[in-house]
Amino acid sequence: MGMGMGSDPMERLVKLASESAVVIFSVSSCCMCHAVKRLFCGMGVNPAVYELDQDPRGKELERALMRLLGNSQAVPVVFIGGKLIGSMDRVMASHINGTLVPLLKEAGALWL
Amino acid sequence: MENHRVGETGLTDSGPSSNYHHHAVLHGMNAPISSNFIHQNGSAFGFGELEEAIVPHGVELTNDEAKAPALFTRSRPSSATLAMLPSNWSLRFQQTPRESWNSRGESTDSVSSSAVNTLPSNQLQPESPISQKESSSADHHQPFNHKPLQQQQLEMASDISSLNQSAAQEKGRGSSSSEKQPDAKTLRRLAQNREAARKSRLRKKAYVQQLESSRIKLAQLEQDLQRTRSQGFFVGGCAAAFGNISSGAAMFDMEYSRWLEDDHRHLSELRTRLHAHLSDTDLQTIVDGYISHYDKIFRLKEAAAKSDVLHLITGMWMTPVERCFVWIGDFRPSELIKMLVSQLDPLTEHQVMGICNLQHSSQQAEEALTLGLEQLYHSLMDSIASGPVIHEMQQMAVALSKLANLEGFLHQADNLRQQILHQLPRILTVRQTARCFLVIGGYNQRLRALSSLWASHGPPEVLISDDQSCQTTDLQMVMVQQSQNHFSNF
Repeated sequence: MGMGMGSDPMERLVKLASESAVVIFSVSSCCMCHAVKRLFCGMGVNPAVYELDQDPRGKELERALMRLLGNSQAVPVVFIGGKLIGSMDRVMASHINGTLVPLLKEAGALWL
Repeated sequence: MENHRVGETGLTDSGPSSNYHHHAVLHGMNAPISSNFIHQNGSAFGFGELEEAIVPHGVELTNDEAKAPALFTRSRPSSATLAMLPSNWSLRFQQTPRESWNSRGESTDSVSSSAVNTLPSNQLQPESPISQKESSSADHHQPFNHKPLQQQQLEMASDISSLNQSAAQEKGRGSSSSEKQPDAKTLRRLAQNREAARKSRLRKKAYVQQLESSRIKLAQLEQDLQRTRSQGFFVGGCAAAFGNISSGAAMFDMEYSRWLEDDHRHLSELRTRLHAHLSDTDLQTIVDGYISHYDKIFRLKEAAAKSDVLHLITGMWMTPVERCFVWIGDFRPSELIKMLVSQLDPLTEHQVMGICNLQHSSQQAEEALTLGLEQLYHSLMDSIASGPVIHEMQQMAVALSKLANLEGFLHQADNLRQQILHQLPRILTVRQTARCFLVIGGYNQRLRALSSLWASHGPPEVLISDDQSCQTTDLQMVMVQQSQNHFSNF
């Protein structure tokens, strides 16, 4: 897991988010995070997962995520192709309305 | 002359008692350097009165202590009081080698208790703070006679004196009494107390407001109950009267029964309009109205989940037969879609693909949520199953916070259902969507009818048993029968 050096947490988030096609920020004990990971694995996608509770600067990243999303739940948060998708709500909505799969293909995370 | 400070601290109940003592004593020491104190008779610049307040009854202050201040150039409270000061309980005591205490057969775990319970008669001698009277080894209540303690008391005294000195400096700056120049700690303490009092007032205000709104809610509920009773529906309110469901659940059940009435009306209208061959635009309005009607129940569920998530997630608000098919609090979307495909011929190939993709995506989402929920259940099981009994309260607290996560899963499941309902009109034509809703509506109606038929075919004893849930079912059955009176075939 790439650890950014001494940078502002938001910058670190963006950097981490762009390092893989699908990036999930998670907390290892969070069951909803487990659900979102299983969703992607079930689709045949191999996401990069950052467990913030195992990162020494994880708390900072959690706070930055909360600010980014404007809600009290920092995780799970999904980035695809470096772009913010959102938390479980948004991921599910985009899967149902058919926009998730094209995004994944575009980012190279899914092949037909 | 006593130290007026004690009464003027404006301390509230919110401060811990140890702080009170500490603070009060500090104040005592700050009175200080009013030149009076050394010349006072029999009391340490008001410390005697202070000590009487702090030191519990039964611990007598000896003459030595009373005289102490007169002979000291620095203030020095009795060791009984000293021992109660929080600053005394820390490092210095820990640094004291415990063996020397243990050799006296003392338990040294709780310094404060020994301070309170002991009679420190063998106190500091006026002339020399360092000299000590060695008490006999038979004496079990003199921990303070040990040299380490003496040293510690010295250190404490020098702390106090330095405080006094700074206060003296303040005095030196020309104020006539120390009351006009309270030190920073006092100011901070006063501010904290004001803040605590303010917060307390705000809490009280919030509580009163909560009571008021509850009163209004109660009045409204009673009104609603009257109304629904007069219309012949017996759900929700009655169940609450039996006391087997929470008020949040009862309220939701009532709202749901009203929603069912609305649902029935919507579906009747949809059926009429569809058969009337309305223009697509007009039909669209009705279809949109029906989707909003579903949005409403999702909103109601979301609100109710805050007060009783278990009632919702276990499907207790549904009829028993519906409950067989419950998935995280309601219908399983992929099953519903599967049912629709067979009912919706003819569909274009594009539409078939759309519906199949929708079903497939739904299944994937359902699987993910199911796995996440399973992990939650396992985690919950672990937290209750393990650990020694001593930590039971902690265990319960952990389990409760895990249980709270159910709300998130119910929310996601309902979100999934709502998204799917919104997606249907994007794949299907208006007429197809209308037919879709009629199919779904009819299906649910038959499920509920099945439930009531099953209940009525049970043995007669069931209806008059003590089992509360049967009575609830009975009531729901009555409700269904009532709605079946204006039941029309779909």
